[in-house]
Amino acid sequence: MMKVSFPHMGNAYIALSALLSNLGAEVVIPSRPTRKTIDIGALHAPEFVCLPFKVNLGDNLRALQMGADTLAMVSGTWACRFGYYGRVQHQILRDAGFDFDSILLGRDGIGDVYNKFRQTVDGNLALGWFRAFRHFKRKAEAVDKLEIESRWIRPLEGKHGSASFALTEGLSLIHEARSLGQIDRALSEALSLLGGVELDKDREEPLRIAVLGEIYAVLEPALNFDIERRLGEMGVMSYPVMSVYKWLFRPLKTDPRITLGEHRARRVARPYVAYVLGGEEHQTIAGTIGAARAGYDGVLHLYPFTCMPENICRTILPRIESEFDIPVLNLCLDEHASPIGVATRLEAFVDLLRQRRRRRAPQGQPLTRD
Amino acid sequence: MTSLVPPTKTKRLFNYIIMNMVKVGIPRALSYYRYFPFWKVLLEGLGADVVVSRHTGKRLLEDGVRHCVDDICVPVKLFYGHVLDLADSVDHLFISRLVSVEKGENDTYTCPKLIGLPDMIKSSLSGLPPIIDFVVDVQNTSLKSSAKKLAGSFGVTGAGARRALDAALDMERRYQAELLRGTTPEDAIKAVLSNGGGNGSGSRPDPGSTRGADLNIALVGHEYLIFDPFISHNIPRKLARLGANASYITQVPAAVIDRELERYPGISWTYEKELLGAASHFLSRDDIDGVLLVVGFACGPDSIIGEIITREVRTEKSPPLMTLVLDEHTGEAGVATRVEAFVDLIRRSRTRIPAPGPEPE
Repeated sequence: MMKVSFPHMGNAYIALSALLSNLGAEVVIPSRPTRKTIDIGALHAPEFVCLPFKVNLGDNLRALQMGADTLAMVSGTWACRFGYYGRVQHQILRDAGFDFDSILLGRDGIGDVYNKFRQTVDGNLALGWFRAFRHFKRKAEAVDKLEIESRWIRPLEGKHGSASFALTEGLSLIHEARSLGQIDRALSEALSLLGGVELDKDREEPLRIAVLGEIYAVLEPALNFDIERRLGEMGVMSYPVMSVYKWLFRPLKTDPRITLGEHRARRVARPYVAYVLGGEEHQTIAGTIGAARAGYDGVLHLYPFTCMPENICRTILPRIESEFDIPVLNLCLDEHASPIGVATRLEAFVDLLRQRRRRRAPQGQPLTRD
Repeated sequence: MTSLVPPTKTKRLFNYIIMNMVKVGIPRALSYYRYFPFWKVLLEGLGADVVVSRHTGKRLLEDGVRHCVDDICVPVKLFYGHVLDLADSVDHLFISRLVSVEKGENDTYTCPKLIGLPDMIKSSLSGLPPIIDFVVDVQNTSLKSSAKKLAGSFGVTGAGARRALDAALDMERRYQAELLRGTTPEDAIKAVLSNGGGNGSGSRPDPGSTRGADLNIALVGHEYLIFDPFISHNIPRKLARLGANASYITQVPAAVIDRELERYPGISWTYEKELLGAASHFLSRDDIDGVLLVVGFACGPDSIIGEIITREVRTEKSPPLMTLVLDEHTGEAGVATRVEAFVDLIRRSRTRIPAPGPEPE
C-alpha cells in the first residue's frame, strides 16, 4: 500500500489527506512543524533559500522517518522559486539516503498523477477521483468556514484561549469525518462549539488588522509564531487576505469568486507592479489598498527572508502606506527569528494603532462582517 | 568617467545646447553587462546622448545599500547606487524591464527582481528624473514593437526607428561575438564601441597578463557579479595572478548551452538556464581543472540552481567545484584566501595523482 506524505501548510492537511485517503492511499501526516523541524530542514537545505523550503524539507524528513514511501509536492515553472521545491528537496532527501517515490504535480503531468492511484483505488479510478475530489472540496470549505468564524470570535472571548480550544476541537472533528454527511455534521457541531464560547460583552471594539504577504508565511503558524492566534488574544481581529481554501482552489478555477478576486487584485495592483512576478505580489499590494479603503486599522506584511516577490512589495509598500494613509508593519521571518522579538514588535504596533484610533475621533461605524 | 561613453565634456555640452539632445543615463549594473552596446546604439540612433554611471566604488555601494531594502541581493543594491549616481546629471533614466528574453515553447522568465526593477525604483526613490521603462517581453511582444514604442517617445517614427533598431541589433551581435572570444564585458564594450577612444580605467578585470598559466579555471555566475571588479574583488585578475587561465560563462555558445540543457529540463529562468548549461559544459570538459561558481548572497534563483548544479550536474569524475558567495560585506582577504586555496588544492591533487606505487608516508 502506498504511504503518501506531503508538507504542511496551515490546515491544508485536513483536505489533502481526505483527497489521498479516498484514493486508497495511506496518508502519513508528519507532526505539526516546530522550531526543531525548521532547524533540521535548514541543516540540509541550501543556505539562502527561502524559509518555506526549509520547513517543507523538515516536514518531508519527518514523514520519511515515520514510514512514508511516497512524497507529493506541487511543481511548476514560475518566476518564483516555489515551483522548484519538489525537485530539489527530493534530490536532497535521496542524497541523504532515503528511498521513496515522488509525485510532482505539475512536472509529472496530469495523466501520470491520475494513473498513479490505479492500484490503490477501490473500484473504478475515475469514480475514485470524483469521490476524492468531493471529499476534498467539502472538507476544505468546512475548514475555511471554521477559520473565518474563529477569527470573529477570538478577540471577544471571555476566557483566554477558549476560542482556540474550540477551534482545535472543531478541526479535529472535521479531520476525523469519513463521509460527506459526517463532514456536514462535524461542521455544524464544530460551529456550535465555537458558538458556545463565552464572549466578553463589554470589550471595546477590537482593532482590525489585515495580514498579508507571502502565502506560506501568512498561513503556517509554525513560521509566523501563530500570529493569528497571538493577535486574536491581544484583542485584535486579524483578517488574512489569503486562505488555504483560496490557495487550494485557485489553480483549479472551480470557484468563480476566487478567479474574480484574482483579476480584481491584479487590476488594483497594476499601477504599482506592472507585471506578474510569480508570487502573491498582487494580493499584497491590492490587499493593502483594500484594507485602507475598508477602514482597517493597520496591515501586517509577513514574508520569509530572501523571498523575491515580497521583497519587491516591501520596497513598494511604503509608498502605498503614505498614499493611502494606512500603517504597515513589515515582518521578515527566517530560522533565526525569535518569538520574543516578534511579540515585542507586534505589541508595539498594536499599541500605536490603539493610540491612532483614539486620536482619530469616534468613528461611529458599526463593525460589519466581511 | 571612462572612455566608453563621454567623448569630451565640450562635445557633450555642444550636443546638449546646440543639438538639443536628451541626456539618457544607463546604470552600470545588472543588465548593463549584457545589453549595453545594444541600448547605446539604439538610444543614440533615436537622437539621445547616452551617459553611463561611474564604476562601482565604496561610496556608490553605500548609497545603494542605504536606499534599498535590507534583505535584497547585492546586485540590486548596486543598481540603486548606480541610479543615484546618475540621478542629478541626466534628463532621463533608462531602466530595462526584462520580463522574458527568449522565445521558446515553454514559458520563460527572468528573475522577479529584473521584472519588477522599474517598479521598485519608482516607488522607493524620490526626486529622480523621468524613467524610460523599456520592456523586453519577447514571449508576448516583439522586440521591434518595444523599440517602436521607445522611438515614439523620442518622436522618431517609421524608417528612422527601424534603422536604429537594426544598427542596435547588429551591434549586439558583434558584442556577443566579442564576448565569445573570451573578452570581459568592459573590454568587449570598448572594442565594439571603439569610436569612443581614450584610456580605460585601471580597475577592470585584466586576465590577459598570465605568466605561464598551467591551470584552467571556469568562472560561472552572473556577469553583473563576476565582472564588477569592486563587488567580485576582481576574481578574474586574482586567478591570472595565481597562474590560472579563466574561462568565462560568456564564452559558452548558446548552442552548447541548449545541448547541455536537454539533460536538465524544467527550468524557466533564462539566465539560470545559462548558468546551469555552462556549469554542465565546464564540468564535463577535460581541459578544465576547476569550476568556480560565483553567486550573490540572497540571490533567489541561484540558491536553487546552485543546489541543482552541485547535486544533479556534478559527478565523481567532474573537476572540483567551489561555490563563492559574495555580498556587500565580503572582504577582499576572504575572497583571496578562498581562491588561493582552491587553486593550491587543484595543483596539489594534480601532482599527487600520477604518483605510482604506495604513498611515501
